[in-house]
Amino acid sequence: MRELLAALFNLLIFPGLGFLFVCAMAFEWGDRRLIARFQGRVGPPWYQPFADLIKLLAKEDILPNDAEETTAAVLPMLSLAAVLTAALYVPVAGYAPLSFEGDLIVVLFLLSLPTLAHFLAGWVTVGVYSILGGNRSLLQFFSYEVPFLMALSTPAIFNGSWTIAEITARQTVWNIFILPLAFLVALVGLIGKLKRDPLDIPKAKSEMVAGPLTEFSGRKLALWRLSMDMQTVVGVFLLVNLFSGGASMLAPLAFVFKALAILALLSTASVLYARLRIDQLAHLGWRVLAPLALLQLLVTVWMGG
Amino acid sequence: MVRFRSSLLPEALHTLLRRPGTVQYPFGPAELQEGYRGRVMAHGERCKGCSLCVRDCPAFALELERNGKEHYRLIYHPDRCAYCGQCEQSCRFDCIYLTNEFVPGTADLETLSVVLVDHKPTGEQGGNGAEEQGR
Amino acid sequence: MTKVTIPIGPQHPLLKEPLSFLLTVEGEQVLESTLRLGYVHRGIERLCQERTYVQAVHLIERVCGICSHIHTTTYCQGVEALSGLQVPPRGLYLRTFLCELERIHSHLLWLGVLAKNMGFDTVFMYAWRDREIVLDVMEELSGGRISHAVNVIGGVRIDLDAAHTRSIQQRFDELERQVEKALALINNEPSLKARTQGVGLLSAEQVARYCVVGPVARASGVDVDLRRDFPRPPYDQLKFNVITHPAGDVWARTLVRVQEIRESLSLCRQILAQLPDGPTSVAMKRRVPPGEVVSRSEAPRGEVIYYIRSDGSDKPARLKIRTPTLTALITLADQLRGVNVADVPVVLSGVDLCIACADR
Repeated sequence: MRELLAALFNLLIFPGLGFLFVCAMAFEWGDRRLIARFQGRVGPPWYQPFADLIKLLAKEDILPNDAEETTAAVLPMLSLAAVLTAALYVPVAGYAPLSFEGDLIVVLFLLSLPTLAHFLAGWVTVGVYSILGGNRSLLQFFSYEVPFLMALSTPAIFNGSWTIAEITARQTVWNIFILPLAFLVALVGLIGKLKRDPLDIPKAKSEMVAGPLTEFSGRKLALWRLSMDMQTVVGVFLLVNLFSGGASMLAPLAFVFKALAILALLSTASVLYARLRIDQLAHLGWRVLAPLALLQLLVTVWMGG
Repeated sequence: MVRFRSSLLPEALHTLLRRPGTVQYPFGPAELQEGYRGRVMAHGERCKGCSLCVRDCPAFALELERNGKEHYRLIYHPDRCAYCGQCEQSCRFDCIYLTNEFVPGTADLETLSVVLVDHKPTGEQGGNGAEEQGR
Repeated sequence: MTKVTIPIGPQHPLLKEPLSFLLTVEGEQVLESTLRLGYVHRGIERLCQERTYVQAVHLIERVCGICSHIHTTTYCQGVEALSGLQVPPRGLYLRTFLCELERIHSHLLWLGVLAKNMGFDTVFMYAWRDREIVLDVMEELSGGRISHAVNVIGGVRIDLDAAHTRSIQQRFDELERQVEKALALINNEPSLKARTQGVGLLSAEQVARYCVVGPVARASGVDVDLRRDFPRPPYDQLKFNVITHPAGDVWARTLVRVQEIRESLSLCRQILAQLPDGPTSVAMKRRVPPGEVVSRSEAPRGEVIYYIRSDGSDKPARLKIRTPTLTALITLADQLRGVNVADVPVVLSGVDLCIACADR
């Protein structure tokens, strides 16, 4: 009975649904506020992401005639479920009740599901902008995913374990100092995965209106946005654990600071660059990021991880 | 590495540390300049009924109703008005002028016909437009 | 690969004014484009025939929001020529001051719009923040940020005093610093250069064939600027450079326009320093003598031409406006052929569309 209650607590409150929801809202607010201040604006109030979600839930849910309704309804739920499941295995301030041997690989697989769902969403809701946006989403996936996976595997090889909690615990010096190239490639890969500026090519507002999600509205769109916000949280937590882990007395506070620092880096990157074209991203992914990640991997192996 | 260096970073950091350039109106101040072309008003006692302003208004927002030589009313329609100031320019008697008051939208049709001048033959003068406006 | 038709407009996040482009796309490449105009046609030329010359000034101002002053300037120039009126020098200087201010504000607006369509939101915010300086000056001078209502037939109806001039000069110092930063950004930022270089190419021969004017022509190496080629006072007493660039792509147009902001700032300073004393306008006669006149001036987007015919009454008999955006729109068919879909916003913004001007 106690185990059932503990499991429910982990799944629904911490570090599961409730905690993730609060973090997702907080991260989106922090991101929007920081970007606004960089641009000389005030930025939204703290309750804005929550208000946006409530508003979307109340809107009409309508799709084009030729769209497949069932698939279109399932895809955002699939995306959200994948992100929530992946979040269960990412330690929060050292607390990882459900971690098991090799869960880094599972997390990386689960995190690639939302991207595929995003692409399928474009195909399923027929519309010119949706299909083209979906194509771009897949092209972007091919450009950044391989360097991203290589960069995230490097701490695993260096620290000698494929369990995230173990990688975190075994870092005596933060990995970001020992494997800086891997951190850089992972950061750029995360920007691509989350489809933030400057890599928001699939949903480029001035070209594709809203990319694959153009035809979504109402509750489905609310679920999409929630899953994207939670993906941000999980991605940031993953980077914090893999590159700046280590046990300490001030674990929760330090964790919060590290997560906010990485979020600030993401926001700064959003502000400083113009959006890339898809061929420029392919060039960046395969000719710059992949060699860097490979180099870092080889150096790590040579160092004897 | 060269690709990631940004020339916008100094300006971005500088802007981050300053006050934002926007004002959260209506919770913050929004003052209009003195010379801002806003609501049209008139000094009723100076009006001679020459209708130069009526003739020159490009939006046909002014009307002069006549009831004889000494009895006339000048009616102004804020919804047709383009706030260009041509009436103020054309008036030779310094009568009609533009204030710097911003004219908000309204759903009340009564406020869209404002009597600026009410000139009666026995010497009684009408208001200068301030009384008849609803809010 | 199948061909898809992407509609850009009439409503699209990329466009500020309604315009319809139908792009035939194969994969990521644009094969052809079809243009439809007329969504903002208001019949201003015909409406002007029903209004007196004095009323028409204000109607002409509303042909376009961004270049409103230059339209009224050109119109008033034409009517003054027909009536034989000589605008006093102070009036001419003040008119030109506002023309150059408008050029600055238009180019800053355009820079922001180009950046936003490229995905560079930050530059959009910065450019429009700096544009506020110019808009504040215009509001102090004329009472309106966008619609100035400064021109009357016979001169201007605003005036400047010494204290006001000093405060304007101070704000110009700040604007100059920001423009230098913008220029450094355009010259050095790699992501911006990657998006704009080599995109939207127009050769000098195409410019001559389509009669393109303005910064688009100057960015293809064609040295044409009405302010220098046909100098009307006070341009004959002011010194400025005409900026050209040989490349002919969107990056060249960006450089040309931002450097033109610098030149306009210098012109504004010269005007404030050399402002002659005297009246600012002369009285006009209600009826304009019969005749016809072609009046031209250099708007922020190029040469704007007004043809006015008068039959001796107090209403214009015919008014014809040729705006510079029309010439640029025709070149878009050439520019969009073979271009990447992702480059379409950059190409469309690089041409500085003002559809309200083109449709009248």
